[in-house]
Amino acid sequence: MGVSEDYFPDEPKRPDMKTKCPGPATIAKLEELSKVFDTKAAFFVTDFYNSLGNYICDADGNKMLDAYCQISSIALGYNNPELLKATRTREMAVALTNRPALACFPSTDYYEILKDGLLSVAPEGLDRVCTAHTGSDANEMAFKAAFLYQATKKRAGKPFTEEDKTSVMNNQTPGASDMVILSFTEGFHGRLFGSLSATHSKPIHKLDIPAFQWPVAPFPTLKYPLEGFEKENRAEEERCLKDLESILTTFPHQIAAAIIEPVQSEGGDNHASPFFFQGVRSLTKKYGVLLIVDEVQCGGGGSGKMWLHQHYGISPDIMTFSKKMQNAGFFYHDPLLAGDRPYRQFNTWCGDPSKALIAKAIIHEIKDKHLLNEVNKTAAYLYAKMENVRQKHLKLMLNLRGKDRGFFVAFDLPTVELRDKFLYTCRQKGVNMGGCGDKGVRLRPTLVFQPKHVDILVKTIDEAFDQLD
Amino acid sequence: MSFLFVVNLKLMSTYADRYFPDEPTGPKVVTETIPGPKGKEVIKSLSDVFDTRCVFFPTDYEKSYGNYIVDADNNVLLDTYCQVASIGLGYNNPNLIKVAKSDKMIRALTDRPALSNFPGLDYEEMQRDILKYAPKGQKYVWNGLSGADANELALKAVFFNYQSTKRGYDSPFTEEEERSCMENLPPGNPELAVLSFKRAFHGRLFATASLTRSKPLHKMDMPSFHWPTGEFPAYKYPLEENEDQNKKEDARCLAIVEDRFKNWHCPIAALIIEPIQSEGGDNHADAAFFQGLRDITLKYGAKLIIDEVQTGCGGTGIMWDHERYNITPPPDLVTFSKKMQSSGYFFHDPELIPNLPYRQFNTWSGDPKNILMCGAIMKEINEKGLLPSLRETGLYFYGKLEELQNEYPKLISNLRGKGKGCFMAFDISSPEKRAKFLAEMRINGVNIGDCGSLGVRLRPGLTFNKKHVDVFIPIMKTVLSSL
Repeated sequence: MGVSEDYFPDEPKRPDMKTKCPGPATIAKLEELSKVFDTKAAFFVTDFYNSLGNYICDADGNKMLDAYCQISSIALGYNNPELLKATRTREMAVALTNRPALACFPSTDYYEILKDGLLSVAPEGLDRVCTAHTGSDANEMAFKAAFLYQATKKRAGKPFTEEDKTSVMNNQTPGASDMVILSFTEGFHGRLFGSLSATHSKPIHKLDIPAFQWPVAPFPTLKYPLEGFEKENRAEEERCLKDLESILTTFPHQIAAAIIEPVQSEGGDNHASPFFFQGVRSLTKKYGVLLIVDEVQCGGGGSGKMWLHQHYGISPDIMTFSKKMQNAGFFYHDPLLAGDRPYRQFNTWCGDPSKALIAKAIIHEIKDKHLLNEVNKTAAYLYAKMENVRQKHLKLMLNLRGKDRGFFVAFDLPTVELRDKFLYTCRQKGVNMGGCGDKGVRLRPTLVFQPKHVDILVKTIDEAFDQLD
Repeated sequence: MSFLFVVNLKLMSTYADRYFPDEPTGPKVVTETIPGPKGKEVIKSLSDVFDTRCVFFPTDYEKSYGNYIVDADNNVLLDTYCQVASIGLGYNNPNLIKVAKSDKMIRALTDRPALSNFPGLDYEEMQRDILKYAPKGQKYVWNGLSGADANELALKAVFFNYQSTKRGYDSPFTEEEERSCMENLPPGNPELAVLSFKRAFHGRLFATASLTRSKPLHKMDMPSFHWPTGEFPAYKYPLEENEDQNKKEDARCLAIVEDRFKNWHCPIAALIIEPIQSEGGDNHADAAFFQGLRDITLKYGAKLIIDEVQTGCGGTGIMWDHERYNITPPPDLVTFSKKMQSSGYFFHDPELIPNLPYRQFNTWSGDPKNILMCGAIMKEINEKGLLPSLRETGLYFYGKLEELQNEYPKLISNLRGKGKGCFMAFDISSPEKRAKFLAEMRINGVNIGDCGSLGVRLRPGLTFNKKHVDVFIPIMKTVLSSL
């Protein structure tokens, strides 16, 4: 038996569509909900009580195979019995009822929770953690860490000057920093003001919000399949590295850190090779720029490794996480990244022990059930099948990508309209999927997605292409 | 009905007596220092992996109960700081434990939704449970994940609204806007400002840290938006004896704000203010000042954001502190977090919801786990009549503190917060004396926090009552006499 049968003996065998999706019950519910909540982005109203394993149930009782999973944030399937167990413990009730201000009054067991949970999967060399509340929050705190670090180094042990102290209260230099964060074209790092300034995915994400003038380096635009275009792709990556170096050497302000996703997800599932990432790492090192790897979407095991950047053999200074971990934050090593004195990187909650407990439970399952092996096995099967579908629909299914990157598989359609139609068609056939970039479709199933789910997914994709043809 | 209810309240014991029957009758300090030896060990191991330089003491949350917090060494302290003003109903409140163990909570934790894309069947009810106790005049709520997050989301709502008002709510973006925003440039990313006040605190992310003006350390070395500040009135206390002077102070501060609106180099889209500046020193202002600000925002077409992160959810004896100022028309946005255990902003103008999806959006868009807890907390406060009794306790507490202030005029001054529940503060004569005061209070069994450069702030839970005051006051008296 596979791991999904172990967890979910009653998981549906196949999708079960009773109505269109969105169906009448969803539409009625959304109308009510829209009186108190902005529902314009709603796919459908979800019945989480009746969702199970890899199947999500909507308000109309439609059961869909879920390859989107709350935007890549459900690791172990819906109503996972081990997670249910973790949420029913005494320690969880205590954590929920008495949420601490962690930096001032950490719970006596917070060390064990971190050590046994999040830190047990920290990438090599990063042995400290700063916990946060969301992916954006994690990235912004990582930016802060970088700014504090670089400013402290620059100050070389000297105290803040009077000018520092007065100018900062007016949001002006030298107290307020003119350092910057470098990010990449089509990157997505969140939607608060600092993280949004580093986001370059789509205009709709950025319009009308004041932004910092921070530099953007080109992310390679590779041709797929990667093995068919090695030479062109290498040239493209070399071009991007050259541009990066030129920004690093000529940008008028000090670059505190560069932030990059191992696979640009919202921006369209754009991949680059280990060569490129190693190049970014060595250039940042060469110019004294910290490297932040944003594993918010990529991390948590979906790529077949705990963190996707581990496919590239690089070691960042900071790595941020959220989503599948259910707990957000960043790993780091250098204590100076926590600021040279207390209350610099600080906020009321500094995380949430209930989330750290969930993260711990998820991590235990990943290890105990060898879920990364499962992902790798199933993913090889998935990719081969997707390749067959591609051969059949060469005109519609473009740029299949994500080979050897676990479930981090995506492809494009020729136009945004066709892509949206494709997603809608798949949903009517009982498979829930998400888009990315302008024309992309991304697969973001759970870690307990098995070959039998692959069969349904691939068949549905194939049929949907048939229908579009 | 209401008559019976009042009688019942009088006849029955206090909330703390009812729900924390085994609450300690006083603090118990068993080690020579706090943290004691065990606490120090916990800090030592934790410091290998987590920044512990701000730790007061590691806490045993399983043993903490009601208004008493228990540390790793089993020291039992009366808590008047309550997780930086974020525990409203006491530790291990049995009614909240029920919520924590409920089916809904288990579901919320196990299957956390991306709320904007896949709202759950029970989400509408959760939203309505919060909206039931929304500030007067507010109709909607958008959820965030922390106080800073709530304030930044509110700013985003304001900026979307400002530009779409200019453009026409449903008008399309221009090509130039779409192109320029990808390079972080206007017109796509316009230069717009938000006015905040000196000594204000609104959070520590990049936009919120730009608004925050409490202390250099909160802001130092972060890139910052060049946004204007107004001056928050600095009143003379006691208020009753300084009315004329304080009125002049209001007028002076309002003139500065108006001047900023007239002369700032870019449009000011909003003004954000705390009803009581908390981190910045527990600074109070008068209704006339708040109304003056409202009038200026109306005159210049800016939104008024009230930041109730620390003041909200009952801490000042009413649910939302700004309601006591009867600001007319009500503020455009009210942000919340802390005691609510969920975060976000209330608003009433539907045009503060952007015209298109995926503008005000993020993966989780809140957390049903927090929202459930928040609904339960507000229900508990209102149905168990916590606020009337808190107001009573507050007056009693104030009277006792006033006596101490009269007794030690050289040590403590500017006692403030009368009539605002237990949301009180006073100043100690110097930063050194204050540090000593806080440390001595702790070792004598009271956990207490500071604010501003000289302030000591009281932030007990809403379950704090006269018997706790009677524990607090003698300890404070002993400490003052030792200083």
